Amino acid sequence: MEELNMWLDFPIYASVAILCWLAASGLFLSSGKKLMNQLAAGLSFAGTALLLVFMTILWLHIQRPPMRTLGETRLWYAIFMSGIGLGSYLRWKYKWLVSYSLGLAMVFLIINLQHPETYDKTLMPALQSPWFIPHVIVYIFAYAMLGASSLVALRNIFFAPSDKTIKGPIQMADNLAYLGFSFLTLGLLFGALWAKEAWGHYWTWDPKETWAFLTWMFYLIYIHYRFRHPSEHKRAMTILAVSFAILLVCWFGVNYLPSAQNSVHIYSE
Amino acid sequence: MSNETSRKIEKHHWSYREGTIVTGLILLLGFVIQTASGGIVLRIAGFPWNLIAGLIFLFLLVLAFYRWKNHPIMKWLGGVKAALPAILGFTFLVLLMGFVKQDVEPKSALVRTFGLTHLVKTWPFMLINLYLMILLGITTLKRITPFNYKNAGFFLNHFGLFLVLLSTALGSSDIQRVTMNCYENETEHNALDTSGKPVEMPVTIKLLNFNIDEFRPKVTIIDNKTGQIVLNKNKNPFELLDRNTLDIYGYHLEVEQFLESSGKVGDSYVSLNEPGSAPSAKVKVTKDGSEISGWVYSGSYVNQPETLKLNENHSLVMLPAEPRKFSSELNIQTPSGKNVTTTIEVNRPFHIDGWSIYQLSYNTEMGRWSNLSVLELVRDPWLPIVYLGIFLMMAGAAFLFITGKPKDGGTKHVA
Repeated sequence: MEELNMWLDFPIYASVAILCWLAASGLFLSSGKKLMNQLAAGLSFAGTALLLVFMTILWLHIQRPPMRTLGETRLWYAIFMSGIGLGSYLRWKYKWLVSYSLGLAMVFLIINLQHPETYDKTLMPALQSPWFIPHVIVYIFAYAMLGASSLVALRNIFFAPSDKTIKGPIQMADNLAYLGFSFLTLGLLFGALWAKEAWGHYWTWDPKETWAFLTWMFYLIYIHYRFRHPSEHKRAMTILAVSFAILLVCWFGVNYLPSAQNSVHIYSE
Repeated sequence: MSNETSRKIEKHHWSYREGTIVTGLILLLGFVIQTASGGIVLRIAGFPWNLIAGLIFLFLLVLAFYRWKNHPIMKWLGGVKAALPAILGFTFLVLLMGFVKQDVEPKSALVRTFGLTHLVKTWPFMLINLYLMILLGITTLKRITPFNYKNAGFFLNHFGLFLVLLSTALGSSDIQRVTMNCYENETEHNALDTSGKPVEMPVTIKLLNFNIDEFRPKVTIIDNKTGQIVLNKNKNPFELLDRNTLDIYGYHLEVEQFLESSGKVGDSYVSLNEPGSAPSAKVKVTKDGSEISGWVYSGSYVNQPETLKLNENHSLVMLPAEPRKFSSELNIQTPSGKNVTTTIEVNRPFHIDGWSIYQLSYNTEMGRWSNLSVLELVRDPWLPIVYLGIFLMMAGAAFLFITGKPKDGGTKHVA
């Protein structure tokens, strides 16, 4: 039986998803009508669902969880990010957040289009573990939540002139950051339990682990600061934005750090 | 303490400034001791001294808390204004670790003196760790007296982390990690520790069988002149030979015959199952109307690989197969009289008498014909406490997920 490289079809799926999301963002931002908003929500859902279909077919074809490479994690991120954007719209009715989230998801799809995925079915024995899927999914979900919270933070920093004017969306930033942090904690601890089974020790200060821990510490700082200073929004938002920068180093930057050469932990290109 | 000094402290609330000073002093003190001691690698004393030290620490912590419960400094120690600078100080050290490669020979005298290449085993790291444990301990005690179920999430997160920090710090020197080289049908009871010194083990292990499952091999196109893989931007340079037809770099491949384990006889390959045999495939390659067919062979430690010349510029190459799974069938005997036969593989260790036995490696040059299996044996008696801490933190994360940010900032339930 002839099997095709699934990623060859990716541009079609990605382009249609991007078109759906562009139309959805346009409708969200331009129209105030309820019907148009519902149509926009429908379109953004359609884009996400299409990528989920692609992911499912991919998973079935490569016979291993598609969570091994950077390209695969970027695709998961685009799915979660757009889903969280839509979810938070349905929950809090912030139209700008769903547009931002879709925008970020599109950026990740475009990166994948620019750097097409290498097609590799092999999975080294250490990654063949029941922990593999929960560890990566929980992490990417946390990344998406925290990405959304940092979008809110950046908007608050640049578009609100004072601490008092940003009371509304700040609660959403908090909610997203708390949810994201709880997933981040779970991802970290799942990783530790898995490492014990696979490598004999739960924590080895591998560069990826060090940066994952740093990411966790920065969000820890945010949560403690918010707890003690509930009304100093601007500084809190700055901490939130910086934390996301650390998160990005952990996700992508570690691959390029001199301290991480020869790490077994990095996503393959 | 007299009422007057107590009032003075009340008047001047301890805040972030004091928190920053204390954290800064701890770091400074740490680096000074580290430098003065010539950049030594610190080790906590092993059993039973670490256990005794831990119990004394817990006892003093609880005693001090109840003795000075209402003292402003005790309240400060259990609050965010001490915690935030401490977390920042710890973060600073971890950031250093994020940029300086760990566990290597230091390149400069400065890095050696400050112990930057083995930060977790230095004085500043130990001291800030101790300080964090004190803060976590006090804040936990503060929140659970009197206990309010609304503080459950807080308790799980903080006490969980406290347990993890305490048990990993104290238990670090009780961890034994050794590797054992086992050859098929030989009994082994010697191992090598992390510095390469031989250690006699209480358990004896006999390797009954070592086995590797392999993926199908990959094929690629190389440049005849340079011998390098032809990199094709935006396309995968390797293809897994798990199907009958495939396209690579503009060539169309048809697999006419695939042999999982084979050797060369005359001009072609036949199925063989003896040490050194390897996968081979007879392929027909077409491009722009021209057609070539022949064998490719991945080669092994015994046999040369065989490539198929496609034209002036390119050849088809079969790469060595990658392992899908490797496992060892072992017979293990312990001094307690246990005699177990079991199979271990990566991600599936075996636990016996406090030891965990891991599949680590094999003779990679020989690949699936390796008669050597490298095992790792790990003993970590403090692990149950570490796991208890991890599970408490997981429950705490679940709490955080369900309850989210406390509406009133959470300060209401502080006693």
